[in-house]
Amino acid sequence: MKNLNFLVAAYIAIWVVFCGYLFSVARRMASLQDDIRRLKRNGK
Amino acid sequence: MATEAQSQASSGPAISLPSILIVFLLLAAASYAALIWAPTEATMGLIQRIFYFHVSSAWSGFISFIMVFIGSVAYLRTRALKWDWLAVASAEVGVAFFTIVLITGPIWAKPVWGIWWTWDARLTSSFLLWVLFVSYLILRTLLDEPERRALVSAVFGIFAALDIPLVYFSIWWFRTQHPQPVIGDGGSLAPRMGYALLMCWAATLGVMTVLIRVRYHLEAMRSEVDAYRMNVSRNG
Amino acid sequence: MSIARAAGIILAKELRTEFRSRELLGTTLVFVLIVIVLFSFTFNPTSEESRRFGPGLLWLAFLFAGSLMLQPSFLREQTNDTLAALRLAPIDPFSILAGKMAANFLFLLLVEVILLPVFAVLYNTAILPVLPQLLLVLALGTVGLATTGTVFSAVASQARLRELLLPLLLLPVLAPVLIASTESTIGILRDPPELSLVWITFLTSFDVVFLTAAWLVGEYLLEE
Repeated sequence: MKNLNFLVAAYIAIWVVFCGYLFSVARRMASLQDDIRRLKRNGK
Repeated sequence: MATEAQSQASSGPAISLPSILIVFLLLAAASYAALIWAPTEATMGLIQRIFYFHVSSAWSGFISFIMVFIGSVAYLRTRALKWDWLAVASAEVGVAFFTIVLITGPIWAKPVWGIWWTWDARLTSSFLLWVLFVSYLILRTLLDEPERRALVSAVFGIFAALDIPLVYFSIWWFRTQHPQPVIGDGGSLAPRMGYALLMCWAATLGVMTVLIRVRYHLEAMRSEVDAYRMNVSRNG
Repeated sequence: MSIARAAGIILAKELRTEFRSRELLGTTLVFVLIVIVLFSFTFNPTSEESRRFGPGLLWLAFLFAGSLMLQPSFLREQTNDTLAALRLAPIDPFSILAGKMAANFLFLLLVEVILLPVFAVLYNTAILPVLPQLLLVLALGTVGLATTGTVFSAVASQARLRELLLPLLLLPVLAPVLIASTESTIGILRDPPELSLVWITFLTSFDVVFLTAAWLVGEYLLEE
């Protein structure tokens, strides 16, 4: 069971990068959706 | 100017639920294969299990960068913005994959060789590739007008992609002249290790496809909003 | 008009502009001198060390010089919008790029040839017996530097923060050139000198790949 901590660290790192990227895309998407809502409101 | 892709952008989600489900099943199966099913490597022990996702991330990152090339060439030929969206989506996803490679590499190297970083050929070239496409993404943020951005970054994307093999060959020859510890050259793989690697590659390819689609969708939406804004400011 | 003739005219125009002021060459020369002097503080320049590190820092200095010197290549055209005038000329757009590449190649080579003896004196290396081989490596490396550098100068000139952007784009792409020309220069300065065929071939293929790429896609950069 030696080096288990390194293995765990590596898998945590992989998931952090993956989720971090998803989160960043989701955030950009949300701010864009806000823009769209605002534009629609002003358009009417 | 509403192309087909643009009108698709606003309607419906970028990815269907089944495809997400498939990718998560693949990821679960690949993790099981990499962490439990594959035999423990004799000399390196548990830590060698990083190898599966480390290597397959690099392969998938490669494919993403090749798609940057394809998107860039296709944009220059067709001038359809959707190819530019593909290029930027692939570049971001490729950089994300190579970030994983660059983080897991040192975590693997530390317990095995006692050092975090060695200027090993593969690690060094991955590092350079990462820098290359990060500068592609930075270039994009510094160009404002969409068509100009697409055109100029397509030229840089093509040059960066052409540089990939040259980077690899030069660093490889450089390192064979200056012997260095070689990472991950453990000879032949046990059959189960090979299958586990393939599983992981399939899973990362699935993740890559989903991420690129989502990012492409975002870029398409953004383009639509920009076009709309432009119209409003012109007419109002 | 053929591409070669048009490129020749552009080249002549570039040379005339530069030799009227000579500001670019002078500034770059002094810049590389500063880099070479500063590098001497990072290790002991008279010992055996300089033979190992010398070529690398020389090429690094040339790369930095290129990333600064190629900046004005397209920027200079923007102040009076002269690029638009060039574009109106009835010539192949690639010839504009080719003429500028040739001019930049000559400027860089000139800087390098002037600095080579200075470098040899300061870092205690004998270059006279191996001059032809050194010039070959210099020429091959500089073609790669000038080709990618000119294209990226056009790329960067269209973006914000252009002064910062050119080195950022250029240096990572040029890493193979740095490796190949450093390695071949080390080989040439070794005793007995040897010209590494692998690296010369590599440099040549780098030049061919990016010259072809510039020829195929470069004209898009000149579009309005």
